[in-house]
Amino acid sequence: MFALVLVTAAMCEAQKTNVPAMVTAGVDTNFPTTGSGKGTFYLSGPGVALKKEVELGTDVAVNGRDLQNAGAYEAIVCADTCHTSQFYVVAAKAVKLAFLVHPSRVPVAASDAVSGVALPFDKFENMVLTPQEVDFRLTAGSTSLLARSVSAQNGVAWFRTTSGKNAGKLQVVATLHDVVSTRAVQEVASDPCNLRIKGERTPKGIEVETDPVRDCSGNVLPDGTIVTFSLTGSNGKSTIDAPIKQGIARADIPAKGPQTISVASGVVMGNELHIGGQ
Amino acid sequence: MRTATSYSRPIPLLAIVLVALAVHGPLLMMQLPANSFDTNFHIFFASHYVHHWFNPWNEKWFAGFSQTTYPPLTHQWIALLSNVVGLQMGYMLVQLIGVLLLPVGVYRFAKIWVDERSASYAALGSIFLGALAFLVYQAGQLATVCSAALYLNALPYFYDWMMQGSGRALLKGVVVSLTAAAAHHVTLIFGVVFFAGPVLWIACLDAKRERASASVGGVLGRAVVFGALVSGGVAIVLLPYWITILQHPIRQMPIPHDSRNNYLLHSMTAINYFVIPYGALILALPFIFLRGGSPRLRPLLVGFWLAFIFGLGGTTPLPRWLLGRAFEILTFERFAFWATLLAMPIVGALAVELLDRFQARGAVGLSLAAVGTLGAALAWLAVNPYRSTGATDVQPVIAFLNRDGHDAYRYITLGFGSELAKVSTYTDAGSVDGDYNSARLLPEMTKYGSAQLTNSKFYGAAGMDSLRAMLKHANRYGLKYIFVHDPYYEPLLTFVGWRKIETFDNGQITAWSEDDIVPAHRINSDAMPAPWEGIMWGILPIGVSVLAIFLELLLPTVREVVVPVEVPARVQGHYVA
Amino acid sequence: MKFILPITLVVATVVLMGLGLMGYGQSRTALGIAEGSALPGLTPNPDTPDKALHNVLLELQRRNWDRAYADLSKTSGVDEQDFIERWRGMNGSLRSFSNLESFDTRPMHETSEEADYRVHLLWSTPVGPVQDVRDFHLTRVGNEWKVVWPKVTIPNVPAQVVPVNYLRWDLVTGTSGEEWGAHNIDAPHVRIISMNAVNTAEGTVIMGEAVNEDTVPAFVTVNATLVDGSGNTIDEESSFDKIDHVLLPKQVTPYRVDFPSTSLNKVKNVRMDIKATLVPASADPVIGVTNQKLETDAQGHAVLHGDLLNESGQTVNIPHVIASFYDNNGKVVWVSDGYVERALLPQGSEAFAVEIPKSVAGEVHNFHVVVNQYSLKS
Repeated sequence: MFALVLVTAAMCEAQKTNVPAMVTAGVDTNFPTTGSGKGTFYLSGPGVALKKEVELGTDVAVNGRDLQNAGAYEAIVCADTCHTSQFYVVAAKAVKLAFLVHPSRVPVAASDAVSGVALPFDKFENMVLTPQEVDFRLTAGSTSLLARSVSAQNGVAWFRTTSGKNAGKLQVVATLHDVVSTRAVQEVASDPCNLRIKGERTPKGIEVETDPVRDCSGNVLPDGTIVTFSLTGSNGKSTIDAPIKQGIARADIPAKGPQTISVASGVVMGNELHIGGQ
Repeated sequence: MRTATSYSRPIPLLAIVLVALAVHGPLLMMQLPANSFDTNFHIFFASHYVHHWFNPWNEKWFAGFSQTTYPPLTHQWIALLSNVVGLQMGYMLVQLIGVLLLPVGVYRFAKIWVDERSASYAALGSIFLGALAFLVYQAGQLATVCSAALYLNALPYFYDWMMQGSGRALLKGVVVSLTAAAAHHVTLIFGVVFFAGPVLWIACLDAKRERASASVGGVLGRAVVFGALVSGGVAIVLLPYWITILQHPIRQMPIPHDSRNNYLLHSMTAINYFVIPYGALILALPFIFLRGGSPRLRPLLVGFWLAFIFGLGGTTPLPRWLLGRAFEILTFERFAFWATLLAMPIVGALAVELLDRFQARGAVGLSLAAVGTLGAALAWLAVNPYRSTGATDVQPVIAFLNRDGHDAYRYITLGFGSELAKVSTYTDAGSVDGDYNSARLLPEMTKYGSAQLTNSKFYGAAGMDSLRAMLKHANRYGLKYIFVHDPYYEPLLTFVGWRKIETFDNGQITAWSEDDIVPAHRINSDAMPAPWEGIMWGILPIGVSVLAIFLELLLPTVREVVVPVEVPARVQGHYVA
Repeated sequence: MKFILPITLVVATVVLMGLGLMGYGQSRTALGIAEGSALPGLTPNPDTPDKALHNVLLELQRRNWDRAYADLSKTSGVDEQDFIERWRGMNGSLRSFSNLESFDTRPMHETSEEADYRVHLLWSTPVGPVQDVRDFHLTRVGNEWKVVWPKVTIPNVPAQVVPVNYLRWDLVTGTSGEEWGAHNIDAPHVRIISMNAVNTAEGTVIMGEAVNEDTVPAFVTVNATLVDGSGNTIDEESSFDKIDHVLLPKQVTPYRVDFPSTSLNKVKNVRMDIKATLVPASADPVIGVTNQKLETDAQGHAVLHGDLLNESGQTVNIPHVIASFYDNNGKVVWVSDGYVERALLPQGSEAFAVEIPKSVAGEVHNFHVVVNQYSLKS
């Protein structure tokens, strides 16, 4: 039925409505009409279909509620014939930022490892496509890692940067006018650096432990990280996967005779230690 | 109670049926077979017919299988009754009908061999058979019981047709035989040897003694006509079954079953498959053999002996020699049931002799033997080592599968035993497992020589290999959920990368899942029956059963053969025990 | 005449039963279900060492402990409780879940008074079949042979309290309002650090090592897809139980993906895919692997032996050993695994052994063992 009206409207030119070229979303708008007598006003757009009986020659008031969705609309006025006009509804002022930050967890000092995308939206959830300045600020503790103003292109503003050097919470803030959106990324210790062990013989075998295990930025590796001790001696080889506890991995390994002890964590190797027999 | 008139009269058939109703009716209404091995399987099949009467392709087991691999009659009757009383009670009612038909069949079958009085005692005794209680309440072999009952009812027509050439007997005999086949094909196939063979033999002997309306050749000719009609009828009524079985003959690795054990070397198996089914009949074995030597009873004795030997499973090598590979497919508890049925005419004669000789003491003794046999079989339900270890509440499993789109994936259960079928009946999700060995086509299940995945551990290395193979191919089949009711399986699931996601029933059941499994998709199979097969399957089996009912009601039997019976005429008193 | 048929049938029955007892028509049976014992008088008289050993093993297989114990020599020195517990397993170990599926006895040495037998035992376990070799000593007592069951002395470790205090990671579900955004937590970062494909008699084997590079535990699965010259997928399989699925931060695991009956010659390309999920985990128990040695066993197989040492206060019911073997260039040339039948008690030790195929044994220069585990309380 509606299609039939549209076809009819396309064929006839007798009545007119003068529409503005652009309307802001959610704003009450009047559509002036020409002609006389009674007519019917149709409005169709994204998620909207409206029909009104109107007096031709007067303004047709359309409530802002019916113009909340950004996009292309058609206004049609029909009496004996129909006339169609097209206009565009643009997003209102940005009041919201959709802010995506990746990853949620990142090793320290990893280049180009943190990225973020901000998308401004108006109060009707329309993406704001007009250029907007978005300020990105990254702070770890009291240290500022990044402060950059980025102009949103087609509704998208983004950044990419290197993670900080200290493990902990990295706060990422995007600001657009008075709209602030905050995200957090957990910066975690990277691979161990300069992994060193010391050991001593005990009545039961050998007690071996690492120095505090840190990455190259000096962050202590989190508890539970696995450190592998390997002992090689005349009785064969012994290995133990020991978790770090309070920064140090420790193991008691029953072993007799001279032993060569090595250590590794993930793909990182540490020093070697030789302990003689009792 | 002793009256002069009751001594020499047989027990009325109606009274026998009422006794069967009184004994088994309450047990079935209490749903005692609900926890038997196969009850849930039969209900599962029936539930499919409730929703898909003309489509035997069932997607709920084995990623899709055809129900034309199992004769449908009992399941279709359950499906029909379930519309009124529900599936569970529908099962019980169909089983009750089978149980009530059995003494009628025994009575009519026994009259071929012994006098009416002995036949009535045979029928009465059949109600208390340990083998019957075993099959109904422990094994849940609905189809075997119903089919045997129907077959016993068909055989007297076969005999009458051979003796008199009665067209009415031929018609009813053929239709009831087809109904028996529609209930359970295996019973009909073996029944030809164990039951029909002796009947044909005695008919020939009777013809030779000029007690028939035809010569021996004539009797044989009539038997051929009967056999041809039944064979042709079975070929048509169960055509989709034959097509399936020819297309996919059972080539899977043999699956162990305890009834194939040597009972002399496995005492518990002997109790389960010999002592319980035979019960007090063990005491009657000498009499059965001695009395079976009389000229008239010889064919019956041979039939009984053969069934008896088969019922001993792997105790003797004869079943393996005669059956070949089929030995590893069949289970042998049903043979013991058939053997007891074949023995009943002779046992009926023994009962008459005992009553005549010992009167009240004989009646008491027989009553104790009968009740003791049934009682032992029922007590065995509670103490046998094969029983399920308590009822599992599978409702949470069913609820889990039916919510949140979980039925987009397949599942298996581990340690659920026959409860798997209950889960399958009430959930929309499909499983790669199933509780029916003959329908399995997935290589993960047929290659290893184990049965259900849910019972893998009982099949040893073969069972666990089969389970491992299925878990390896979980993604192939969309297998995402495993429900565990036996901690035995938890180490394997842990080591192969499944994770516990939920617990039900106070931790009795745990749900396990694997990530990254794609939703199940339909597995194409050449075993899928054509639409016309589904229509045949939905019409003919149930149709012959309805025809049999009409024929029984509309064409009453006029039996003219009077068979002289060699039972000692020591008629001094007659007790209705 | 009247009795000919009954007598014939009775005689035939007895003869057939006799044949049945001689082993004709025997069938495989289900496991773990009480089958009972042979009827009195039908158990073979233990007048040879083989029959005596067979009787004991058969009773053990059927879990008829009293009858098995009664068949032992009085000089055995083991009490019935110990005998049962050692055979049946304790503490939720793999053995306690196992059933003896079959056995094969072979004489090693035999005189008129004493005999030694080697028995190959096939156990059915939750994790698959396990083969075991065990030697038995038998002695003649009168006209019968009896198995001598040696008493195994288990060191009496005094009870001790070992705290279970390592880190546990638990997953906490956040709400959408939280800035940490628990709804889109990244999967742990894991990586395949080595991969090797070899052709074996059983088919193609893909193996290597993977590491959890993250600071949180990861649940890891390695999948491999074989692709032919036309780009078509030949087969795809996963690492199944040949991997330690739960990796703590910086932990390395070997993995092996088997493609039975697929020759490597047909394979043009192998696509590897490692999947990781964040899971709750615990750093306990810590299991050391001591005294690891490559040796050749009595049957000529190359075997990696060693002991597992439970350094924690938690019982490890089923330890699973996965070993990667390297050539002198550090390339993984094989990955083997094996389950340990006995539970690892707190501070306790158990031996393990994993086999290396003869074809690669000569190349092995070094090895690395990781221990996966199943604990009933976890």
